[in-house]
Amino acid sequence: MTAPAIGLDVALTTRLPGFTLDVAWSAGDGVAVLFGPSGAGKTLTLQCLAGLIRPDAGRIVLGDRVFFDSARGIDLPPQQRRIGYVFQGYALFPHLTVAANVGFGLRDAPRAERQARVARVLARLGLTGLERRYPRELSGGERQRVALGRALAIEPTLLLLDEPLSALDAPRRHALRDELRALLSEITTAAVVVTHDFTEAYRLADRIVVYDAGRVVQSAPRAELLWQPASESVARIMGVRNILSGTVIKATPDRIQLRWRGQILEAVNSPTRSYLPPPESPLAFFVRPEYVRLIRKDRGPADPAHHMNLMRGTVVADEDFGTTWTLRIRLDEPGPAAQADYDLEVEVPHLVYEILEIDRDRRWEFSIHRGSIHVLPA
Amino acid sequence: MSAETLDALSLSLRVAVLATLANAVVGVPLAWALARRRFRGRALVDLLVTLPLVLPPTVTGYYLIVLLGRRGWLGAPLYAATGWTLAFTWYAAVVAATVMALPLLVRTARAAIESVEVDLEKAARTLGRSEWRVALEVTLPLARNGILAGLVLAFARALGEFGATLMLAGNIPGRTQTVPLAIYTAVQTGETSDAVVLVAVLTLLSCAVLVAAGRLGARAA
Repeated sequence: MTAPAIGLDVALTTRLPGFTLDVAWSAGDGVAVLFGPSGAGKTLTLQCLAGLIRPDAGRIVLGDRVFFDSARGIDLPPQQRRIGYVFQGYALFPHLTVAANVGFGLRDAPRAERQARVARVLARLGLTGLERRYPRELSGGERQRVALGRALAIEPTLLLLDEPLSALDAPRRHALRDELRALLSEITTAAVVVTHDFTEAYRLADRIVVYDAGRVVQSAPRAELLWQPASESVARIMGVRNILSGTVIKATPDRIQLRWRGQILEAVNSPTRSYLPPPESPLAFFVRPEYVRLIRKDRGPADPAHHMNLMRGTVVADEDFGTTWTLRIRLDEPGPAAQADYDLEVEVPHLVYEILEIDRDRRWEFSIHRGSIHVLPA
Repeated sequence: MSAETLDALSLSLRVAVLATLANAVVGVPLAWALARRRFRGRALVDLLVTLPLVLPPTVTGYYLIVLLGRRGWLGAPLYAATGWTLAFTWYAAVVAATVMALPLLVRTARAAIESVEVDLEKAARTLGRSEWRVALEVTLPLARNGILAGLVLAFARALGEFGATLMLAGNIPGRTQTVPLAIYTAVQTGETSDAVVLVAVLTLLSCAVLVAAGRLGARAA
């Protein structure tokens, strides 16, 4: 494989009928995931990177190679970019065998070398023995690996994958997601992956670039994105639950006190973000359902000194998700509930649900650690 | 079978085969360009190619005379330079059949080319193939059955061409009298036995062509 190209810098503007793409982001080597709803411009970005669509303006630079620069009139054709592209649905050549598909990009190499390289790629991806099959004779997972092999065979400087798992059914999808993760970390080529599934994005990414309606709304290492979405809209795109709105009482660089549904909650502020909203201003925040603690009744009364952000409420609905239960809780507070007819979603493992007999006992006290209340800058 | 009937048959086959070859050479690239390229005058080219499908063949033939006749836009300079004119030679029958068959091939082949997934062509580009090689190695092989079906239809059309051929090539027994013209002439002069043979031959050929085109079409789908 080629030496890793350090740093991908992308700045693109392109206007289509009814849609404008205007994005700028950078990524190191490793895997960058473009994440966002369908129609946000993710695939369009990939096609611009590969040179298949010419943007109106911008710059695409990988390490020291300039692929596109409208200011300097540079626009390398796709043939000269040496970018491996795994298409959504794979786009395998149906009239060619697996070996011919994988060797398609090696036309200029001498026959013997081409065969050796194809054999190496096939062995690497566990496809040996399928050389003479046609794409229609392969399973979904095999097709994905052939598409990957075809892209890798040209020893690309950059690998692009468009929804690499969406053509697979759910069980294969999870297995192949982890397989793909392992493979991407093994190869030294930088990769850009497009997905609209947050779990997939999180599993595959080093850095996640969040797209919405043709713009980048946040670009961050995956852990930072998970815990510090830049705004309420980013949190909503990520599918974060329990996005709530309260009122600021007091904000300091490391704590924020806020009022919500008659409770006074204490949250951790992020010193790195130094977000200091003025008192009485509205504040969005979220609480992950799996981070709400139910207080056991067989261990004595709850201790406010020990249990932060203590609240009391009733389970008004619950749903079984197979391995976990999601409880919808309404606080013992007058006034309209925060979300439809409940205030908080709480997720508990099956075992906890059974031990605590939540199916018949609906009144609970619960607490949220201040580190689990995440404020969302306006 | 009379000598004239045999002449007509052999001429018709020759004309149809050559017109089909000309369709392959001119029509397939044209179909590809119409399906995949955006160029200036594309709509006009599309219109001109399709026109013979809807115009009365004699009108198409008339335009061909205006273009290629001895005093035509192209025909006159050619005559001035060489003293030769296309009109009323058997080559004129080939030209007339080619023009009349072209819309059938172009429309069928174009639909087949358009149905080739664009991502396959894009993939070939990222794998280093020039536009020319993308067409030869990906697009055309995948559109093959549709293109062959178009050629079969073009062959049938060329074999049956009457009006434009009559206008440009005339109806000279042994020289430009193709099977459809021979049938017409035979019926007009009351030599029905000759006509019956030719009618049967054309009917059988047409049936064979329809079956062939249907099979190719089914495989293309």
